[in-house]
Amino acid sequence: MKRRSALASLGSISLGVSSKGFLVKEKEEAVNDFYKIKKQTLKTDILVIGGGTAGVIAAIQAGRAGKKTILVEYGSQLGGTTTTGGVAFPGIFFAWGKQVISGIGWELVQEAVAMNDDTLPNFSIPHGKNHPRHQVRLNGQLYAMLIEEKCVQAGVHIRFYETPTKITFKNNSWTVETMGKGMTTEIVCNQLIDCTGNAFATTLAGYPILRETVTQPGSLMFEIGGYDFEKLDLNLIKEKYQEEIKKGTLDKYEFRNNIIGVLKSRGDNISHVMGADSTTSESHTLANIKGRASLLNTVRFLRTLPNLEKLKIIDVQNETAVRETYRINGHYEVTQEDYVTGKVFEDSVSYSYYPIDLHDEHGIVPRHLNEGVIPTVPLRSLVPKNSRNLIVAGRCISSDRLANSALRVQASCMGMGQAAAAAAVLAHTHGTTPLEVPFSELKSLIESHGGIVPGLA
Amino acid sequence: MGLLVLSGYYSSDSIRYAHAPTLSLPVDSTLYFIVDFKDDISNDTLVQTRSQEGYPISYSRSIRTGVCFDNKCRPLDITLRWNLTGRYLGFELPEKEFLSKYDHDPFSEAEYQRLHAILTDSLSPLANFHYNEIVPKADSTYEKVDAVSGATSASVLEHVVEGAAFTTYKLWHLVYGPARQQVEALTSRALTPELIQLVLNSTHPSDKIWALNHIDGYVKPTPALQKVVVSFISDQDYNLTERALNSINSNDLQSGALQSILVQKIFETKYSTQKLLLTKLKAVPKLHKEAYSLLNQNLTKLNGQLIAEILQLFIQYQISDVETYRSVSALLASPNAFVSGKAYAFLTRADPQDVVVKERLTVYEEKHKGKAIE
Repeated sequence: MKRRSALASLGSISLGVSSKGFLVKEKEEAVNDFYKIKKQTLKTDILVIGGGTAGVIAAIQAGRAGKKTILVEYGSQLGGTTTTGGVAFPGIFFAWGKQVISGIGWELVQEAVAMNDDTLPNFSIPHGKNHPRHQVRLNGQLYAMLIEEKCVQAGVHIRFYETPTKITFKNNSWTVETMGKGMTTEIVCNQLIDCTGNAFATTLAGYPILRETVTQPGSLMFEIGGYDFEKLDLNLIKEKYQEEIKKGTLDKYEFRNNIIGVLKSRGDNISHVMGADSTTSESHTLANIKGRASLLNTVRFLRTLPNLEKLKIIDVQNETAVRETYRINGHYEVTQEDYVTGKVFEDSVSYSYYPIDLHDEHGIVPRHLNEGVIPTVPLRSLVPKNSRNLIVAGRCISSDRLANSALRVQASCMGMGQAAAAAAVLAHTHGTTPLEVPFSELKSLIESHGGIVPGLA
Repeated sequence: MGLLVLSGYYSSDSIRYAHAPTLSLPVDSTLYFIVDFKDDISNDTLVQTRSQEGYPISYSRSIRTGVCFDNKCRPLDITLRWNLTGRYLGFELPEKEFLSKYDHDPFSEAEYQRLHAILTDSLSPLANFHYNEIVPKADSTYEKVDAVSGATSASVLEHVVEGAAFTTYKLWHLVYGPARQQVEALTSRALTPELIQLVLNSTHPSDKIWALNHIDGYVKPTPALQKVVVSFISDQDYNLTERALNSINSNDLQSGALQSILVQKIFETKYSTQKLLLTKLKAVPKLHKEAYSLLNQNLTKLNGQLIAEILQLFIQYQISDVETYRSVSALLASPNAFVSGKAYAFLTRADPQDVVVKERLTVYEEKHKGKAIE
């Protein structure tokens, strides 16, 4: 092999962008005289489904650990809730004065902060009851580009616009069929990581999942402007808002019954799209349409009020961000009690730190953790019962509803993503399943890549 | 800004709440600065106390304004104090003066303490409240109207002294408004490496951050100051580490000794700190041999991503000696394909002629024959 061609094929950039390093076979199938579908079969060590908050970290971890890794994402960019959803404040990485979530997630966040000349909050000063003080604000679009670059540098083969249609397990390998624009793909992998947030891959693979009768509302992030808040007659606005609600032209749940909050936040994390569900294209379409319709309706109303005549929409995210859908039925279910007492398990692989944060039709009242409490994530809660070579990361973690309302936050999902991928890497190396990897090796691998693993006292 | 120097005077027989200033030095002189505070309060003087060494110790501003309720007005007569770093220190009332609420009741001891605590909190949500939320009814006189408790929303009441919402709000914004910026600007004019060192000794985290933010572009660091700054780079406190590294500019980084200290710290710290250190090394004007030799000798101790970044550093600084090529070529045998791939890409780009390196490359290529599809 010539050195230059070797460089082209082994170099990080070509490996990440091209499918050639993964390609087993490829053919084209004519649909009619004018259109052909490309059919590919790819083989990889690890397949990550879902390029959101957890999936990106998982893919980078797997790639940096030297595994051939493919990342499938149904959208057009990575980052999910942080980027496409616009919730660009990825939770809390520091608790009680020390860093509890580090590794790849923090690396990406920190680089986005530095490149945007943003300032970090002082984590040494306690946030008290106001936990957003320790939130790090990101430039979402910059973050999306940075994480894509990191994936490519880690040799991760990214496949945008693809979604799984069938998942089967045979001869210690998963075969995942996906459909995308103008192509169908069959991806054969040894280890599968479900980072869809909805436990989609898990359920497609045939494992049971759980869902509450009522789930938390989603949020459509937007920005409005064109008015001076200090010149507004807030009593009048509230009065008129309640009149519209009584008439039925506005819905009080859409903005937490807080029209002043809409104006004050200028659209930042104030919308509530009741019943928002991202599990099917139909349900997510509905969530998007509902979110946009309520925003349009509300803006039309506001523009009729004094000093708001020139109110305008400056930006709206592409989709409604979703808080809660399905959770896996894992080997262990993290309970609220575990969470609020900061229980450390023998197989804890990462920390999580956030108040119990259940949004409902009345809004949200966060329940803060007692001083010194830092909850943890056991490996068993990431593994669906009776599965092999399958692990999840992100908000679909096996947990009760209240624990999940805190575990779902992005920083925690990043920690889970790194841990899940490390377990998958070792499972591939040892020819086993994530739950059976030697824990000391798992801890060592996570830590060697900068992650923080909780330890029993 | 005008200036008048007078000797210091301090009344002690009054209601007074105060935190200790960072510098516990005796007041030697008092300076008066005429400042545009960009508000409607008539007093435009910012008072600075100084030590014998000429270090600013604290600042104060006397406020006289009106707060009205039930169609009756009371003057608000209070002196606010700041640390040399702009941190709120406390307040003092003139003799026999007291603060009162909307019902004319004087503040209780607990209410004074609550006010002091609220004013101490630089991150209070009051920063994001607007006048018209404190006094919901829009009115041309609202700026001088204290909040009637019934009309003040629950979200505001959580952050104010009940019955004195507007007083609390007004004072908080006076503490953290233009006066604070003026305080910082005046201290910045008096900064020396020695003063920065004293502030870095503060037990208050925000003072340390302030000092680290006021090195680059403000003072030329002495070896003693640099030593203190470098001592903050550790896994103990991420903010201090990040700010300490930020305070080191490219001029300082010309020093081979400083570069070596930073490199040494890479091998003593954890990932978050290691990443910051490597980012700093990307800003050095030239990477000294002792620094990159140290990196070479310890490459295998690092994870793949850090190795990849160090290889980028070598490319950036055109490091092309045999020692470097040999230490990188040792990575070709790494069981981690990511690491060996990065080493291979680096060496292929450099195309070294060293026999040992070429041999290792040949072994690597033989091992990977047929795996690359191009």
